[in-house]
Parts: sequence; structure tokens; C-alpha cells
Amino acid sequence: MKAKPQLELIYLDMTLKMPFKWNTGEPLGEFFRELKANEKIYANQCPTCGRNYCPPANICTRDHSRCNEKDKWVAVGPKGTLLTFFICEQSFLIPTTGEMLEVPFSVGLVMLDGAPVVLQHCLQETDVEKIKPGMRVEAVFKPKEERKGNIFDIIHFKTIKE
Amino acid sequence: MTQRVAIVGIGQTNHSGRRPYHNDGEVIYDAISAALADAQLSIKDIDNVIIGDMELFEGHSLNDAMLLDYTGAEGRSGFKMNTGGTVGSMNVISGWYNVASEFSDTTLVIGWEKHDEGPTTSAITTIWDPAINRPFEVGAISGLAMISNAYMTRSGCPLEVGAIVRAQASDNAARNPKAHLRERYTVQDVMSARMVLYPLNLLMICPTSLGACALVLAGEKKARKINKKPVWIRDHATAHQVTRGMDFMAEAGKIDTSMTVTGRKIFQRNHITKPMEEIQVFEMYDPCAFCQPAWLEEFGLCEAGQGWRLIEKGVTAREGSFPVSPSGGTLCTNAIGDTATVRVAEAALQLRGDAGEHQVTREVKMALASGYGGMYWTDLLLLSNTLD
Ligand SMILES: [Zn+2]
Repeated sequence: MKAKPQLELIYLDMTLKMPFKWNTGEPLGEFFRELKANEKIYANQCPTCGRNYCPPANICTRDHSRCNEKDKWVAVGPKGTLLTFFICEQSFLIPTTGEMLEVPFSVGLVMLDGAPVVLQHCLQETDVEKIKPGMRVEAVFKPKEERKGNIFDIIHFKTIKE
Repeated sequence: MTQRVAIVGIGQTNHSGRRPYHNDGEVIYDAISAALADAQLSIKDIDNVIIGDMELFEGHSLNDAMLLDYTGAEGRSGFKMNTGGTVGSMNVISGWYNVASEFSDTTLVIGWEKHDEGPTTSAITTIWDPAINRPFEVGAISGLAMISNAYMTRSGCPLEVGAIVRAQASDNAARNPKAHLRERYTVQDVMSARMVLYPLNLLMICPTSLGACALVLAGEKKARKINKKPVWIRDHATAHQVTRGMDFMAEAGKIDTSMTVTGRKIFQRNHITKPMEEIQVFEMYDPCAFCQPAWLEEFGLCEAGQGWRLIEKGVTAREGSFPVSPSGGTLCTNAIGDTATVRVAEAALQLRGDAGEHQVTREVKMALASGYGGMYWTDLLLLSNTLD
């Protein structure tokens, strides 16, 4: 077989930069309003099967029932127990901001006190030797004037000694 | 109005990180041409075309329409699948529905991806819930890292087991000319690789590859005429799992996962009571080094806590009593849209005895292939080389 002649390979550069607005819906919106106004993390429960959700769910994943109304929500945390985690050492382009990720970036799933639910968020600790599943952590909130009603109203979870 | 369905043509490109002179269409065309040649058919013999990939990886949508010239779908029925990581197996399952229902007699299934064209970890991060999860995820690997940590905590699996899995995969891939990463690594090599996302280092996560895989499916009567060694799709199951807030992890180890559900369905429906004896090989979609131990357990192939011990004993090696991913698996080759199609193709090659240097030493009559992806969804297919 004859070798193909070497042709110049042309690449076209493209950047997709598209703004979106994403509607949270009612329970998640209320969850964020509580973070912002009262530093409260809420969970709710399915009245049919008892499964718990944080942030509060509208519809139960398991049985498709409508979950309970806000007057039955329970405040959980801000303390909790670390279930599992990762520590990212390699940066990448964050698709929602277009910025590069600052590393090390450590994230945990925290079982919040008060209900069998997890919340995923940053950990303050980034040293793998100092992170162990089962350790106690606590949510640290931004000062009130800086809170915007989104998940970043919590800065991170810090390690606590009890 | 139903018929049995067989795989009668298998085609796969070589996989690589980058392949000059190949645009997306040419990669697809190579895989289709190989599958049609394997079946000794031409595109004129195909009724229906199903194609799948990860949307956004190549920076454009509606790939099926854009690539119509290469896929050969003009004037034919068919559609595009976009189910994330499972797209490659969902393609095969959709092909099965089309042929089993006698809607078509021959269906061409194509899975493909060209990871070299964009920031795919950024693209895949958009699968996560934008308000709750997305800011705290790094593509697909972060979720896998958390599953891995949770599995190690729950089962006592040591970090070294991940390195055993990867070293074994590297030996398999070295024998497979279609694989992407074909370098052989020792357990020590894997342990000393650069950390990417603790506990997963660079060798413990799947690569970003470029490649395509195509299968020709045919109904029972036609299949026997086309190919002397048809591989039968005996059964398949799909299960979804919610990851809103990763909340299923709160009950990890206690609730059924998508693997548990699909495994149970397949084994019960096919009266399989000792899966590791009655089934001889498993091409598992294993995107990180701790998937094999954790998922052997979750699929119900062994008891909880035993997965990593079986790996330590060499059970899952190519020459072992239950080889897992003898092609080198997803850990060595991962052009996402084709990854699960490759699992089915490789399981079928094992059943035909056509896997070449990476053929398992055990005689294969029945095989499993799985697909896996966001959001923790699983497809499981049971294949065999006879209808007995
Ligand atoms: Zn419920």
C-alpha cells in the first residue's frame, strides 16, 4: 500500500460561551432562601416511604409521592460526619464559569446530624493524611451580607474536634 | 411477532489519543466498514441505523444528521442515542428492540467518540445538577473517587487492589491491538503514578480515547445465513439510579444499586444460580480501578466484601477462573460513546473464539457485557454462542 502524502492538518478553533438561567423550582428555592436568611440547612421526608432528602425534594425518587410541605421540614446540620471524599490535584476548565479550578480541591459527602441525608460540599482540609471517613465536620457560612441564596452561601465544611 | 437477535458483524477501529487525518466521520466509517466486512454485507443490506455518542464532546449537536454520509443512514430508519456512558450499550439494546420486534431484520449499531477535540472533563461536568452537585464534581472521575473511597472504607479493600486491577488490565491491553493504552505496568508502577483525584492516580482512571465500534444485528433466520458464528443476545436489563445530591450514597452498601437490580434480573430470568461458573467471561465497563471489586459484589457475582479478595487471588485475570475485561477494559480504552459497544463486541469475540492474543483460556459459552454511566445507570447484557 502506498503511503498517503503528508497533508497539512487543519483544526478550526471554536469556543462555546452561552449564558443560561436555571430555575430551581420551589423546594430548592426555599432551601436556598433559608441558607441565605437564617444559616439553616433543611431536609424533608416522603410521607409514604419515609425516605429523607437534602435539599428537600418535591417528588420522592422511590415511590413518586409528593413530599411533605415546608411546615414539616427539619433543620439538619450544621455539624455532620464525613461519609466519603475526593481530593482533586489536577486543574480543569470549570464549564459553568469558564475559569480554571484551583487545586488541591477537596470535596466530601457529609452525613448531616438530624436526618439520614448527605450534602456534598468542599472540605477545608486538603491534606489526605488529615481526612478520614467518619471524622466530624461543620458547615462554615459566609457573612450574611455576602450570601446570595445559592450553595456557595456555605464556604466549606471544617474539621471539628468533639 | 418476535424473533431472536444475533450479532453477525463486529468492527472496531484501533483506539488512540489522537489520530491525524481522521475527522469524526472517517473514524465512524472505518468501524462500519469493518463490521460490514465481518458480516460480508454491504450498507444496502442494512434496514436501520442507530448511532450514539456523548453530546458536547465534539462541540456540536445532532451528530447523527451531520454524519449521515458516513453512517449510511440516508433513506433508512433509525435514531441517535444520548444516554451518557451507557450510550454504547443502550445502542445495542435499542438495536435488539428493533430486530426482536421484527421492525427491522438488520440493524447497524454505531458507538463513537473523539475525545481529542475538546475539554471533555468540562463537558461531562454539565451532567451534574447545576445547583447542588456541579460545583463539587470534576467530570465523571470525582463520583468514581467517592464511590472508591466509600467501597474501601466499607469492605476493607486496600489501595493496592486498584493497582492489581490496573496492572492486570495493562497485560490484557498489551495483547489487544485495538486498545489505546498498551504499555505493561507492574503493581509498583501503578502505585507510584501521579495522583489525579485521591484515591485515583493517573493509571487508575480511564483514558480519553478516539475511536468507534460498530455491530451488525440480525434476526434469527437471517443471522444463520449471514454468519457461521452468530452471537446471540439472550437477555438484557437496564436500571436507573438517582444521584440528586448524591443522596443514594447515604445508603451505600445497604440499598440496591443499578448493578444489583440488573444482575438480579438477568440471573433470575435465565435461571442462573452460580453465575461465575455458568458464565465464563465478563467484559465490564470499568472506568476506574475500584469498579471491578465493588461491582463484582453489586452485580451479585460474589458475596459483599469478597470482590477485592477474588482479584487478589487472580480469579479475574485472563487465565483466571472468571476473567473480567480481558480486552484491557475501559481502564485502557475509553472513547466514551463506543466504550459500552466495545464491551459487547469484545464479549462477542470471546464467544466466537476470535479474540486473538487476548482470548481467555477458559472455554466460553456464555458472557456478560455491561454499560455504565451518568447518573449511575447500568445496562447488563447476557450473550451466548448457542441458543441451548
Ligand atoms: Zn417515598
